[in-house]
This record gives sequence, structure tokens and C-alpha cells, in this order.
Amino acid sequence: MEVKEIYWLDELSKEYNDLVGKKCANLGELIRQGLRVPYGFALSVKAYEHFMEATGLKEKVSQIVEEAVATGLDVEQDMGKMIETSAQIRGAIEECPMPPDLAADIGRYYSGLQEKVAIDQVACAVRSSGAVSMPGQMETYLNVAGEKAIIEHVKKVWGSAFTTRAIAFRIQQNMPISWAPIGVAVIMMIEARCAGVILTLLPNIGDTDRAIVEGNFGLGESVVSGDITPDSFVVHKHDMIIESKSVAAKTKMVVYDTCGTRICDVSEELKDQPCINDDEILEIVRVAKDVETYFGVPQDMEWVVDKRFSFPESIFWVQARGAKFAKKEAHKDEEYVIDLMLQLFRK
Amino acid sequence: MKVYDCVPGLEFDESTDFDISPCWFQDATHSVPPWTPMFGWFWINFCRHGMQYGAESLSLPTVKGWDWRFKDGGGYLALLLVTDPNERKAREERFKIAIRPLIENFDGIWQGFVDEIVGRYEKLKSLNLDTASNIQLLANFEETIDTTRRMWEIHMYMMYGVYTAFVLFEQLTKQLLGIDDTSPQFHKLTSGFDNKSFQVDKGLFELAKLAQEMGLKDTFLKTSGEKVRDALKSAPKGQEFLKKFDDFMEKEAGIRMERMAEINVPTWLEDPTPAFNVIKMSLERGVSYSLDDERKKREVERIATEKEVLAKIAPEQRSWFQMILKLAQSSSRFSEEHNHYLDLYTHAMIRRSALGLGRRWVKAGAIDNAEDMFFLIPDEVRRAGINPGMFNMRSMVSRRKADWQGWSEKGNVPMIMKEGFTIEEAMKALVESLDPIALKVVVGTMPVARPELKADLYGVCGSPGVIEGKVKVVWTETELSKIEKGDILVAPTTSPSWTPVFSLLGGVIVDRGASLSHAAIVGREFGIPVVMNVFEGTKVLKDGMTVRLDANMGTVFILNK
Repeated sequence: MEVKEIYWLDELSKEYNDLVGKKCANLGELIRQGLRVPYGFALSVKAYEHFMEATGLKEKVSQIVEEAVATGLDVEQDMGKMIETSAQIRGAIEECPMPPDLAADIGRYYSGLQEKVAIDQVACAVRSSGAVSMPGQMETYLNVAGEKAIIEHVKKVWGSAFTTRAIAFRIQQNMPISWAPIGVAVIMMIEARCAGVILTLLPNIGDTDRAIVEGNFGLGESVVSGDITPDSFVVHKHDMIIESKSVAAKTKMVVYDTCGTRICDVSEELKDQPCINDDEILEIVRVAKDVETYFGVPQDMEWVVDKRFSFPESIFWVQARGAKFAKKEAHKDEEYVIDLMLQLFRK
Repeated sequence: MKVYDCVPGLEFDESTDFDISPCWFQDATHSVPPWTPMFGWFWINFCRHGMQYGAESLSLPTVKGWDWRFKDGGGYLALLLVTDPNERKAREERFKIAIRPLIENFDGIWQGFVDEIVGRYEKLKSLNLDTASNIQLLANFEETIDTTRRMWEIHMYMMYGVYTAFVLFEQLTKQLLGIDDTSPQFHKLTSGFDNKSFQVDKGLFELAKLAQEMGLKDTFLKTSGEKVRDALKSAPKGQEFLKKFDDFMEKEAGIRMERMAEINVPTWLEDPTPAFNVIKMSLERGVSYSLDDERKKREVERIATEKEVLAKIAPEQRSWFQMILKLAQSSSRFSEEHNHYLDLYTHAMIRRSALGLGRRWVKAGAIDNAEDMFFLIPDEVRRAGINPGMFNMRSMVSRRKADWQGWSEKGNVPMIMKEGFTIEEAMKALVESLDPIALKVVVGTMPVARPELKADLYGVCGSPGVIEGKVKVVWTETELSKIEKGDILVAPTTSPSWTPVFSLLGGVIVDRGASLSHAAIVGREFGIPVVMNVFEGTKVLKDGMTVRLDANMGTVFILNK
């Protein structure tokens, strides 16, 4: 394991969890299973250390914190002081220029990313990626495009480790207050034509011979949240035949907004069309089957189709995990059979 | 001296027994021709006990087993119905818990029982009857009684459980797949399993092959069954063959008897003539035919059919349907195998123990023939057990024997009914019991005469198919030798020791039977049509007739009246 300040996502795996955070390490794992995930790179905690040390911010932040503590930094007693301290630190971090060598490095990776996706000034999401999830450290900046903006937003994420909530959390947990290394994920924004989920089994009945693909136009949130009725396709996993298609009237979808996502209407002519074609469905099932085989358990995975790329490069994966399904209660069949037997005696 | 009832306490009594049930059904599958008194005593007491034990252990909601009576060598039964709806409900609740182990672990439970009962047999057989003391012989007989009691408990607990599953399976295949037991698919689903009875048949077949390899084929073909042993003794390699043969009889096939539900016929261990005849038959037919291949073929067919059938079941129903299918297959397998481990084996043990005492009693002067023991009941065996020289049991034996001969000549009626009670009412009560054993084995489905078909006999399908062939009416195992390839076997009922002959048959017609009785199961294994419950087949059909058998329709046509 090579310790670096910046990694391509495909260099990562679970082992890198402490270095680049959970989010990036997981994306690395997905790539290892043969999944295409949105392209991007990860800044490790070493980049944070480099930044804080080279700029003298490490001492400065310690000083701010020490002063605050000396004058009674207390979560319950003095919220005003908390807010003031947080603003002071975040301001210091965001105003401080990136050390030139680190800035050049980030720039190199961003150029690399532009080449990889063949899109100039490719828009990215810049997010925190902690080794453990920590409340208050969930800053996400969408639609960040251009080298300069990327660098600014990386600093914003680092600064987000000093939100009042994050500081309060560390005080309560008896963790160091002034030292909060965190990973940063810089990942291209998907232009989603449609997105959804696949379960590599039929969850209600535990039928593992079939997979179900559900999707809607736009981003996957509308499908994952269950707010709308998505299109739904049942595929026989061995024969690779689409056994049933149910195309829903999809009136709403979720799209990216300047800061976050919003719900919008699906156009009249589009709403009754399937959001995904047969080739895409079968490709999604094929990939999901491989992952299921790799892990040996049914999978619950999130996919998205990017309209800028051509099939099959258009299909990206953003999540894969063991499927939670109405796990067949150990005795469900037996109970049903017993019930049927009792019917025999009731004629 | 007063002659006791054959089955004290359970002799049919018109003055009181109609209070229990207005109709008593003859167990025609087992008690035709009439039983000897000793065998009747065993059957009536312990089959009755076993059925009530089984129904109670499983808490069957509608029936508490059967009551049995002995009348002139016949077994008569009435169902003990649960009529109170509240009691039925309470029994349903207990049934849910009681049936579960069988659903979850059929094979384990059955194997446990097999081990237990075979352990008892081994212990009984460990006593050398010729050197044992009178006290030991009597103790052996008492233990045999207890083993019989236990055998019937196991028998009926298992049978009630698995037949419930089988009835359910029949119903579901009808509902979900539209196939009933006239469909070849139905039977393919439940055949093609290995079982102990089949292994014994296979062993005999292997012996035939060995005989051929040893150059003994001619010795067999030129000699009648009862003289084969002597002929073999003087043939080259004959001794070597006999050693293997006797070993097989001792260990595997020796408990077979011509009649499953009796003790007055020799076991194959005592008289292996039927076994020699089976080998002879195989040699005549040519040993290139392989029982094993047949079985394999059925297995392949079964697996293919399972796949076909499952494809037609909705995915969400598949998992429990498969569970029921497996149980139904276990039922079919159990039906065929239990005869070996339970009925046949126990009856061979009763015969062995009784004859051990009998030989001693002959020596002591209490009776004239060892077989006379079968005309005594356990109370009388105890009377003279330790000191047979002090008692003369001849008058008891001769009076009973005279009675028994009278019963055999007269025959028994199929039903004893209270005056004014009709057959229709009786059948209705039977159907209302919903008792799976009554429906599947003893009584079966009643044939419906369909005059528009102009058939000579109407029965129900035991194994599907249509065939024409020459009738051979067979009452006893010794008559099996007259069977030629393609013949139609006509019999009151068939028993496990008849199985090998099925490979020669074109079809089977039995007077009584149901879809889980021997003729049906073995017919399905061999893929030949079987019509059952024609009631009067052995009366109407005669050797030399040619019949057309349409098992699918349950009809028999005589082609050369």
C-alpha cells in the first residue's frame, strides 16, 4: 500500500479506508468488482496534513482552539462562542492559499480526469470522505468545475471539519478538537438520463432465479426513496430473458440543482415511455450477477445512465451492498404446508 | 374346557358394536382369506393400537384412529370420528405442532425408527430357539408381542403423517397442474427411488446373473423350484452358489412371505422355493434386462418431470410446492419400503418365535405339529409355556382349526351393517372421516360404473396405461410361476414378495387397492397399467380370457367371452 496524498479511485480498496475515508475506499472496491463508477480522484488525510502543516494552519487552529478553551469553550453554556470559534477556523482555512506543490498536484489530477472523460471543465461533486461517519462533516459541493474552483472547494470541505456541530461532537467524544484530518472525494457529476436500483432476487418471495430492475428518469433518489412508482422489470438471471415489464406513469423526477437536488416534472411525451431500454436492462443484470457471484449473496445496487456516454460506457454504479429482503423465515414454508394439510381435514 | 374368543374383548358383538358404528368395513386388503386365530389376535390388538397411537400422536383433527373387531377370521374396522367442532379445533392446534417434525426431518425420523425396530429384531433373533430353555422361549415370545406393539406404533404414526402429505399432494397437482393420478406425469413424479424392497429384488437379480456366470442356468431351467437346491448340490460350482444364496436369505430376503398379513406360510428362509423361482424367471427372461437400468430410467424420467412441473408452478408457490412434492415422494418410498422393515419382518419374527415354542411343545406332547401354535392365542401360549408337558392343547387346537376352516370356506362379508343402514350412508361416513389411510390404502376410491362404456369391470386407476393381454388369475404366490411375458395378473391383492414378477406383466387387475397400495406403487415403478378396486376381478375373470385394460378410464373389457 503506497501512501500518497492523492489517488485515482481505481487505486483504492477497503485497505485505504483510514487514509481516504469510507466513501472513496468503497468506490475503489466497486471498481475492483468490475463496476464502472463515476470517474474521480481522492485526497487522503496526508493531503490535509500537508496543507495544515505547510501553511502554518496547524498551529493557528490550535491557538484559536486553546484560546477558546481557556475562555471557557462549552457546548451547552456558550453556543455563541462555539459559532465564533467555528467561523474563525473555517475562515482561516478557506482564506489560506493552497501550498503551490499541492495545488499543482490537484491540478494534474483534475486535468487527468478531464482527459479520461473527454470533457473540458468537467463538473464535479466535491465531498468529504471520513474514515468513520461523523455528524456535521457531510459537506457536499455540486457542479464544481475548473481547477481553481476545485481547489477552493477542497479547502471548504477541510473547513467543514470545524462546523459547530463537528466541534461539539469532538468535545463530547473527548477527541482532539483542533486536529481533524479528513479525506476528500472529487468525482465527476453524472448527467443522468435515468437511474434506479437492481435487486438480484425477488425480495418478497426470496426467488433468487430472478432479478428486478427499477428505474425512473433523472437521478436515483426518486426510486430509492420510494416516492414515485418506478418502471419495473423482472429478468430471469440464467436465461437472461426479460420476463415482465411494467412501465409506470412517471410524473416526477429528481435532478441536480445548483446546491443539491430538486424534484421536477417529467415531460408529457416522456412520462409513459420506459426510462431504460432492453440492452441497458440486460447489461445492468449481467454486471449485478457478477457482483452477486463475487460476494455470494444477493445484491442491492444503484445504477445510473449518463446521457453523455454511449452504451455500455453510459452505465455507472454508485452503490452496491448485500440485499436486505424479507429473509425467508425459517419455517414459513412449513407453516404454509401445515396449513394446507389442515385444510384437508376441514372439507 | 371352554374355548376362548380368538381376540378377547375385540370379537365382533352385534348387540353393542353398532353403537360405536352402524357399519363395519372388512379389511379386504389384509384379512382375505381369513386369518389364523393367533395372527388375528396380533393384528386386531396392535394394528388397532397403532392406529389410535398414530392418530393421537399426530392429533389428527377428524379421526382418532380406527376401532377393530375380529369376526370369523376377518378384520372389521370402524372409524373413530371426532364430531365435536370444539374438539376438532383443539386437535387442529396440536396437529400443527405434532406434524412438524415429519415435515422437517422425514428421513431422519424414519431412519431412527428403522434402527430401533431392526435392533429389536436382532435381539429376538439372537436367541437360539433349539437350545433355549422353555422360560427363554416364552420370554422371546413375550418380547415378540411387545415388538409387534411397537412396530404398529411406528407404522401408523409414519403412515398417518406421510399419507396426509400424499393426499395433499394429489389435491394440489389437480388444482395447480390439472393432473390427477390417471396422468403418467403424476406417477413419474413419485417413482424412481431406491428402497429396501427394491434392493432385495435387485439382490435376487444379481444372484440370477451369478448363476448364469457360474454356468448354472440349465440347472435352474431344467429343475422345478423345490428341487433346485438338490440339483445345485451336485452341480459344479453349485455349492459355491448356494453359499451365496443362503447368505442372502439369512441377511436380506429370508423374512419374505407369500402373504404379508399372515404367519401360517413359510418364510423364504425356511422354504426358499419362491426365491429360486424368481431367479429361474430372471434366467428365462435373460439377465441382460437390468432392474437397475429400469430404476435409473425411472429416476431420469422423474427428474425431467419434476423440472417440467415446477416450470408450471408460479415462482412464489414453488418453494412450498417442492416441500410437498418431496413429502409425497417420501410417502411413496415409505409405502414400498415399510413392508420390509415393519409388517413382513415383524410377522416373520412372530412366526419364528411361535414355531420355536411349537417345536418344543410337539416334543413335550402338548400339540401334534409346530404350526398348531397358530391356532392358539397368547393367553393359551402362556398357559403351557413353561411346562408344555403338563398340558394337552390338542382339543383347543382342533376346535379352533375346525372353526378356521369353516371361515375360509364360507368367506366373510365386505361390510357388517346395522339393519336399515345403507351402503351409501356407510361410504359417506367413510369419506367424512377424511382419514388418509382409509382413503389411500384400505378402502381406496370407489369405482363408478359407467354403463355407456360397456366395460365388464369398473375400477380405479392405480398406474396409468392401456394394454391387452391374457388373464392369469393368481391367488397365492405359488401360482405366480404360470405367469408368462405380457400376461395380465388378476389377484385379490398383491404383496411385496410378488414384486419380481411385475417385470414380466403386461398389466394388473386387483380386487381391492388404492393409490398407495403395493400393486399401484410397483405398477408405477415398472410402468405397467394397474386397475384397482374392481371388487370381483378374481370372480369374473378366468385364465385364458383375453382382456383389454384401460387403466386411465379404470375399465376392463373381456375380448373373448
